[in-house]
Amino acid sequence: MNGFHQFRSCIPCYVFILLTFLVLLMTKASNANTLKDLGTRLPKQLRGWTAEPKDRLYDERTIYSYIDGGAELYKAYNMQQCLSRRYTTANGPSIILDIFDMGTSNDAFGVFTHDTDGKVMDIGQDARFRSGWLSFWKHRYFVSIYMEEETAAAEKAVKALAREVSAGIAIRGFRPRILQKLPPEGLVSGSIRYLHHPMVLNYHFYISDENILNLSAKTEAILANYQAGREAARLLLISYPNLKVAKKSLMNFSKHYLSDADHTGFAKVENGKVAVAIRKDKLLTIILKSDSRRLAERLLAPFL
Amino acid sequence: MTRKKRVITRRDFLRAGSCVVMGGLMGLSLPKGGFARETQKSKVVLIRDSTVVDRNGLRPNLLEEMLDQAVSTLLDTANPQSAWQQLVNPTDIVGIKSNVWHPLPTPAALEEKITERLIKVGVKAHNISIDDRGVRRNPVFKNSTALINIRPMRTHHWSGLGTLLKNYIMFVSAPWMYHGNACERLGSIWLEPQVKGKTRLNILVMLTPQFHGVGPHSFSRRYIWPYGGMIVSTDPVAADATGARIIQAKREEYFGKNKPISPPPRHIEAADTKFGLGNSHPDQIELIQLGWKKDLLI
Repeated sequence: MNGFHQFRSCIPCYVFILLTFLVLLMTKASNANTLKDLGTRLPKQLRGWTAEPKDRLYDERTIYSYIDGGAELYKAYNMQQCLSRRYTTANGPSIILDIFDMGTSNDAFGVFTHDTDGKVMDIGQDARFRSGWLSFWKHRYFVSIYMEEETAAAEKAVKALAREVSAGIAIRGFRPRILQKLPPEGLVSGSIRYLHHPMVLNYHFYISDENILNLSAKTEAILANYQAGREAARLLLISYPNLKVAKKSLMNFSKHYLSDADHTGFAKVENGKVAVAIRKDKLLTIILKSDSRRLAERLLAPFL
Repeated sequence: MTRKKRVITRRDFLRAGSCVVMGGLMGLSLPKGGFARETQKSKVVLIRDSTVVDRNGLRPNLLEEMLDQAVSTLLDTANPQSAWQQLVNPTDIVGIKSNVWHPLPTPAALEEKITERLIKVGVKAHNISIDDRGVRRNPVFKNSTALINIRPMRTHHWSGLGTLLKNYIMFVSAPWMYHGNACERLGSIWLEPQVKGKTRLNILVMLTPQFHGVGPHSFSRRYIWPYGGMIVSTDPVAADATGARIIQAKREEYFGKNKPISPPPRHIEAADTKFGLGNSHPDQIELIQLGWKKDLLI
């Protein structure tokens, strides 16, 4: 009887484990199918280039074997899978198409914002073209297409391929909602970085050798530049999953970064600029550097 | 009782102007040997051959001649055997820190020639190992008494340049922790116990260096060129600084304007001024140029 009761009391656990297993299985399968399905909709031939017979698929572990040195970036945005296809031609450079399934449109947008140099293109939901490389995001996908050497014909083929890939992704994604919290006045176009990982934040604006702001997959952060006349500022906005972490992060930041702040909370940082941090509920707003107190105060006003 | 590690912020970095200050912040002592002294000029040999890389690929015999000539010149010896005898002892356990990045790896021929030279001066074959990703697990590296550091020069997404200094990132368990501020803290890895004071020779391979990167893979054949060179020094900072000047010059030549390496390879100067690993400034580097002079870029 004891055994039966024990078994009966564990049923919810067994069901939970089984469901978790099935969900994981389905997530993997649906990711694979989605990318594979997308692959079937892409052209095999394009303006004289022919796709190699087999696409390659990478997951969050095997991606390191494919993108050596740069895979951490995609991992930092929770990459699920990557489909890679190479197009070749007899008289020109190879073209490499990589489609990253980032799991959510937030992360597809985020990884796109890591590098926004280049000419804006009307492809996907936002695109850039710079020497030899075109990137765009749409739905939950970040798409990279580059040519091994730049030629006029290859450039045309890359742009045509990008449009075909974009057309193959029927759904449009949403930009992260936290973007709506940014003060619009003076926001420098193209300066927004959306991120979760301290490594990515440190790449764009070095804060610390330790994760003093407690960034994680559960936090959303935006880094943005502002310009008001001749004055400039850099703002960091972080949304935490709960109040406790938000409070702890402000304490950490104040202790390690703004330890010399005056009674108003402002500290003088490099080149005569000022820095300040405030918290409201689960939202931490930091002016990392501002040319003046006035500009910093103006940017902080919506968050008070 | 263990001392709690101090958090180092951007502001500490900006305030720290000297290696003494930074060393203190890192809780590290400064190296006593194995690198060039700051008061002395660092000797760097740049050797080139226009035919070492041709349409059929690398010519190992020419590469071997370049290696021997460069090492002999660096250590001012009559022959390569004497030079290698200065660098290692027969009892040394030697790790050859290579680089396997597949678009531009350390040439296998160079690894082989270095291994041959080590064996020739009496180092036991079982006390020599070539590795990159596995150095933390490799028994030879774990017990090493000497390191030879060899890698090709290329631009790099996180550090601006993939340098000799950067090549030791595999000695730490969480490389990504060093990516902040364009990998400025890479020099601190050279003060880790597994590495500190062990490096006897640094070879920056400049046969087909990469001067610009695009896309997720940071690679395009368009941005490599047949420079046919090799930079050799006992000072990794001086070798990297010399290579960086060549890469910068190539970028300016190619792009036709001032196009700085991005992100700026701050780790080279920081290795000098903050970690005391060598000399980064040209006036502190004695550059000896051998071989092919055309399009030298320095």
